[in-house]
Formats: sequence, C-alpha cells, structure tokens
Amino acid sequence: MIHLDNISFDQCIKCTVCTIYCPVARATHLFPGPKQSGPDAERLRIKNPDLVDESLKYCSNCKRCEIACPSGVKIADIIQQSKWRYLKKKFRLRDYFMSHTDLVGTMATSMSFLVNFFMGLAITRLFMELVLKIPMRRVFPKYNSTTFRRWFRTIRKSQEAYAQKAVFFHGCYVNYNNLDLGKDVVRVLNAMNIGVEVPREKCCGVPLIANGFLKKAKKNARYNIASLEERTGDGRAVISASSSCSFALKYEYSNLLALDNSRIFNQVEYITKYLYSRIQEGGLPTMKPVHLRAAYHSPCHLERMGGVIYTIDLLKRVPGLDLVILHSECCGIAGTYGFKKEYYDISQSIGGLLFKAIEAAEPEVVITDCETCKMQIEMNTGYEVLHPVQVLARAFREE
Amino acid sequence: MNYDCMVIGGGLAALTCAIKCASEGLRTGIISYGMSALHFSSGSLDLYGYNPDRKIVSRPYEGIEELVKLNTRHPYALCGNDIIREAMEFFRGAVAKGGLELYHNDGSNHFHVSTMGTVKPTYFSQPSVFNETAKEAFEKRPKIALLAFTGYRDFYPELAAVNLRKSTLFRNLEVITGEVTLPIRTSKNPHEFRSIDIARIFDSERYLKNIAAQIMNASQGADFAGLPAFIGINNYQKIHQRLQELAGILIYEVPTLPPSILGMRVDNALKSRFAALGGEFVAGDRVVGGEIAEGVLNHVHTENHGTTRIRAKYFVLATGSFFSGGLVSGFNDIREPVFNLKLFRDNERNRWYSPRFLDTKGHPFLQYGVETDDNLNPITENGETVKNLFCAGALLARYNPVAEGCGGGVAVSTGYAAAKKIIRNLRGGAA
Repeated sequence: MIHLDNISFDQCIKCTVCTIYCPVARATHLFPGPKQSGPDAERLRIKNPDLVDESLKYCSNCKRCEIACPSGVKIADIIQQSKWRYLKKKFRLRDYFMSHTDLVGTMATSMSFLVNFFMGLAITRLFMELVLKIPMRRVFPKYNSTTFRRWFRTIRKSQEAYAQKAVFFHGCYVNYNNLDLGKDVVRVLNAMNIGVEVPREKCCGVPLIANGFLKKAKKNARYNIASLEERTGDGRAVISASSSCSFALKYEYSNLLALDNSRIFNQVEYITKYLYSRIQEGGLPTMKPVHLRAAYHSPCHLERMGGVIYTIDLLKRVPGLDLVILHSECCGIAGTYGFKKEYYDISQSIGGLLFKAIEAAEPEVVITDCETCKMQIEMNTGYEVLHPVQVLARAFREE
Repeated sequence: MNYDCMVIGGGLAALTCAIKCASEGLRTGIISYGMSALHFSSGSLDLYGYNPDRKIVSRPYEGIEELVKLNTRHPYALCGNDIIREAMEFFRGAVAKGGLELYHNDGSNHFHVSTMGTVKPTYFSQPSVFNETAKEAFEKRPKIALLAFTGYRDFYPELAAVNLRKSTLFRNLEVITGEVTLPIRTSKNPHEFRSIDIARIFDSERYLKNIAAQIMNASQGADFAGLPAFIGINNYQKIHQRLQELAGILIYEVPTLPPSILGMRVDNALKSRFAALGGEFVAGDRVVGGEIAEGVLNHVHTENHGTTRIRAKYFVLATGSFFSGGLVSGFNDIREPVFNLKLFRDNERNRWYSPRFLDTKGHPFLQYGVETDDNLNPITENGETVKNLFCAGALLARYNPVAEGCGGGVAVSTGYAAAKKIIRNLRGGAA
C-alpha cells in the first residue's frame, strides 16, 4: 500500500539548504542529510519499501531541517515516519527503558536513593556500557525521592483560591527528576495570581516516538488529548515547562501521529509564551534584581515552534540579569539520542560548537528551556543550567 | 514584546534594515520563514550592471543617475544616490564586523565568473573573487586553470572553460582544466558530496597541504586556479590565504550549484552581526496577516503563534519576490500574500513573460511587485497608505534585478533607506 499521509516532499525544490543546517550531517558522513533521507528517498520508499536505507536511523529529529526549509517540507516528520514504517525493528531493552519514562520514573522515584547511588557507581556504568550500550561517560539525571504529583497533592487546596487558573502539563522530567522546577512553576504562576491545576497525564510520547514505540506513543497521545480536552472546555490554557513536551502536544500529535488535537491546539502553550500573554494583560509583579551573568541557549524544538522570542522577552525583563544570547546551535543530545553508544560521539561532536560558545561567553549560569539540553550542557561545560522559570522565580522571591 | 521595529523576512534587505535599526539601539526583531535566497546567490553584490541598452555599466553610481531619469519609480529613484552610497558602505562595514571582507574596484564594477563560465559585472566581492592582487594579476594576461574535484557533480570546468574563452575579457588567454582528488577516506561516495560537505572539510584545515600540492600540479604553471566555491565557511579567509601560500598560486572561487557557500558566508556574517547587536531572530515562522486600521499596522500574527499579536512601532516587509514567497501567483492573478498590498502587475497571464526564455530584456513579471509611495510605504487594497510599514528588497516593483543587474543593490539600499526613515521617525518623536 502506498502511504500518502505526508506528501509535502512534493514541495521540495532540491535546494539542499536543510542539509546545510543539519547538525548530524555536519558531524558525520554516515548520515546523508535530511534532503536525501527525507524528500529524495521518500519517493523511492513509497513505491518500494525495500529501498529503505539504514542511515535513516542517524536522524535525531531535532527539526532544524524544517526550520531551514523555505518550501514547507515536513522533512523530519517524513524521516521519523519512514524510520519506523520501513526499517526492520529489533526490540532493545535499552530503548524500552529509556522511552518508557513513566514506568521507569515511577520505579526510580520510589527508591531514588538506591537508584541515584547505583547509577553513580563505575561498575553499574560499565555494565550499562557493555550490556545495554549506554556510554559510561554519559551522566544521568538524578531521581527525586517524591514525584511532583505527590507534592502537588499537598498544596492543591491552596490553588483553589485563584480566580484564574492554568492547567500544568508537568511532563516526566518535572515529575520524576526536577521537583524544584515544578515548584518554581507553581510559585511563579501564583505570584502572577494564577492558580495551578494538574491534569491526569502520561508521558507526552517524545521518547517513545524517538525509539519506535509508536503504538504506545499514540495510546499516550490519545489519553493526553482526552484528558486535556476535559480541562480546557472553558478555554483554560494548558502550559508545559518543557519545550519538547509542548512541541509534541501541539505538533507531533497531529503531524506525526496523525491524531486530532485541534480542540486543544490553541490552548497548549509553552510556559514563557503563556506568561508573556499574561504580562501583556498587566499581570507582572514587581521583580527584584537577579545579579547573574547568564548565557541563553535556545533548544531546537522551541526554535521550531518559534517560541524563543517569548523566553528572551521574559528574561530581558528581569532586572540585574546580564544576558548573552548564544547563536542558535543544537546541543547534540536530542532526547535519548545522545544516551546511546552508537550516537554518543556524534552527539558530543554536534554539541562542540555550543560548548565553545558557552565558554567564550564566560557566564555564571546557562539558561535553557529544555531538560535534555540542560543535561548535555551541565555534563560538558560544568555550568549550572537554569530554566527561565527558575530565573523568574528568583526575581519574584519574597525577602 | 513591544518592538521598535519588526522586520518580516530574513534576506539581504531584511538583514541590512534590521542591522541598521539594531545598531542605533532600537529593539529589533526578524521573523523569517525558511532560509533566504542568499543561499542560492553568487555571494557578490550587484549594484547596477547593465544599462537599458544592455551595455555593461562601468561606473554604477553614475549609471544609476541616468537610470532614475528614465524610470522615476525605480526603487533607486525612491532612495536617492546619497542613500545608496551610504547603504553600500554601511553594508560592507556590517559584513566586515560579521567576519567577512568585501572588496570593490574603487567605485567601478568588476567582473565575476559564473558556474557556466559566463562573465558578469558586479560591485562587491569576497577576496577569492576580487581584490587588488587579483586585479593586478589579471591585467598581466595570466594563464588560468579551472579545476574540478573528483566526483563532485555541481561544477564542470570544461563547460565553464568553453564559455570563458568566448568572453572578450578572456579572449586569447590560456584556459586549461584539471582535477583534484580529496585526500579523505569516507564511506561516502565522492559523488554524494555537495559543496557544503567539502566546505566543512576545508574548514577543518586538515589536508590543506595535500590539496595545495595537487592544485599546484594540476594547474601546470598557471597564475590563477579557479576552484568551485567551497574553500571554507567560518574559516574561509584564513584558509583561502593559506591555500594560496601553500600552492604558490592565486585561487579564485567559482560559484557552484546550490547550496552556494559564497552566499552562505554573507548570510552568516549578517546574522552574526545582527545577533551581536542584540537582535532577535525568529527562524521558521511565517507572518500570515495583521491588523491595519487608519493607515497604521497595529500588530501581526504568525503561523506558529496563532492568535498572539506581535506588536511593533514600525514594521518592514522584506519577504522577497516569487521565489521567496513574497509574491504569489495563481492562474490569472498575482498577490502579496501577507497584507494583500497594492501591486504593480498585469493580471493577464500571457503578458507575464516573454516567449523567449533568455530574453535579454528580461521577463515582465520580474518588474511586478508592491507599489509604494516615495516613502516606501505601501498602499492597501482600500487605497489606504500604511504609514508605519515600509517595503524593501525584491518585493518592490518597477525594476528588473536580472536585466539591470541590480538585485543586491536594491535590496541593500531599500532596506537601509527604510531603517533610516524608521530611525528618523522615532528620534524625531513622530509616529
């Protein structure tokens, strides 16, 4: 059967601009670049699936090709779809664990002390490298001892007092790894007189899509769409503090998974855009100076959504913040991509330009919107990485 | 996000305008959909190449004075010669601050060689295309070697050499061809390499000695070696110089089929300059409309931002011509898709083009575009002039970038002129 669900490849004029801006093609010749792997090869694959090329797997789905394309071709979507539709699929335990973040997160937070301890041991890392093909040098995020949801239950009552409310899609990272960020989101929204609701949710599906668990990704997506539709009936906004989660809810669900998310599309916002809109309505509390020299790195998926200007706008409002905006470069980690042995060197090589730019900016901290960018930058530069909301939380603090 | 100036479009006109605004301390943003036409350009900047009789113009500024007498609605006529000169110098400075030197022939045009080996007049070029040393060497009637890279599909020196020999400038010059093999081991077939892949190999500065030795060999005592333009991106000037030293020969770059590395260098330099001035660049988003009331554009909205309004005191529309999507054509109509502005055009399809594809007069559609007043302000379909919206670059009407050889100059001049007007209005306190 010929699949014709993404025929945007027909718009391709073969200009090769996407390949110029592909971070993977820059780092390795093993990937022929988005033009060849996407619109060029798609013409062959739709006629004869046997013509599929293994090199597809090198695409990290950063979407920079789609940003560069002057002709509106959904290049990365074509590659992702083809990767899972045509390539022979092997089950890998590693990929299963990395992508099923809810399962792993629930287990890990319930015994976070042990998990964090063992993950820090060289012997565990050696085992992971040899058996699971997870590079030893890769630093893993720590797990919290409690989940965001559990913490939120203790403060839920306090949120009822607010007339205006936002639905916070916390995502796996806030839930299992960075409770502090979740707390800061609530703190910032409350400071702006907005109450927080937490919907029932499952992993947005980004790691599942990246690892080929498309059925599970669709299942999660349907669950999330249904849950968010319930919450947004009255036009309430859904916000996420992860650029990739918001990207998935808005774009991957419809473009890649072919699901109908039209009823939540306009409600879902990445948090800085939501905050920007509230500030336009006059909801900005007085800010205290945050004396920091910070370098701002814009994540690929936020670039793809055009959301970077809102983050920059918010940061520019923070008094005392000495902000250097870094030239937009991929950090290389691309979610679970950089956690795999076969892509580790590529991932590190891609990030090289960014790491150098960060060093040259001589900041005290780095600011970025994405959790895996944070992991990559912290591991490679040693700088502490903050989320823009955490910077705002510092500016809104009460002395 | 209350911008002083929001520029719609990300090419030559847009970047020149935005850099000028940002350099005056205005809060400036750019919203651009896809990478600009610079990636398909020669990387040289044309100011004014051919007069209405198709004769090559030697002194472009003097030529423009004559041109605007004949065509008083030409974008150059709207700018004025003083602004054009100022714009060109500003542009050269901005590109230099972004890390790329541009050279001109003491106010006259110089020529550059195309992929096909044709010779074209132009005004600014990168050092591997024009500089004083190259000029002097050329005046001494040099021997020229055009070199290919084994397997590379986007430049054919034999073809270029045939055309080059036909040109009066090169008549009786010895032009030979030869081949260089990239000394790298890769799983990739050399046929798969595009200019960008090879440019990155040059940028790494490895293999330079080996390549230089091969160039020396293949050029058989020539004074100039013409290579496809991919000798480095970020490190280009250093590598060009080093390669010339190692090979003991002047190295000239011939533009290749897209992606054009020469054009990309200009794009990189302009974008770095804009970023260094604190400009905000949104890539990959399309402005789809805005609200115009009583001659003022209040806000615009974009594809990705949905209903969110992006406000600015001034807006600049520099979305390019048909190729870049600044103008769109249907079967029997031509429109400006963002604001539906008043155009200079013919709606009768069979008058859009000349039946001769390579007509030296050019095709009429190339002259179509947005009709502005003297102030570069466009007019809506209701006949209302939009006072805080300026138009710049290829989207403008009544000039022919191909036949007149003036596309780059018009983009830079009108982009700069728009910036000057915005700055003057803001500083003068008028809205």
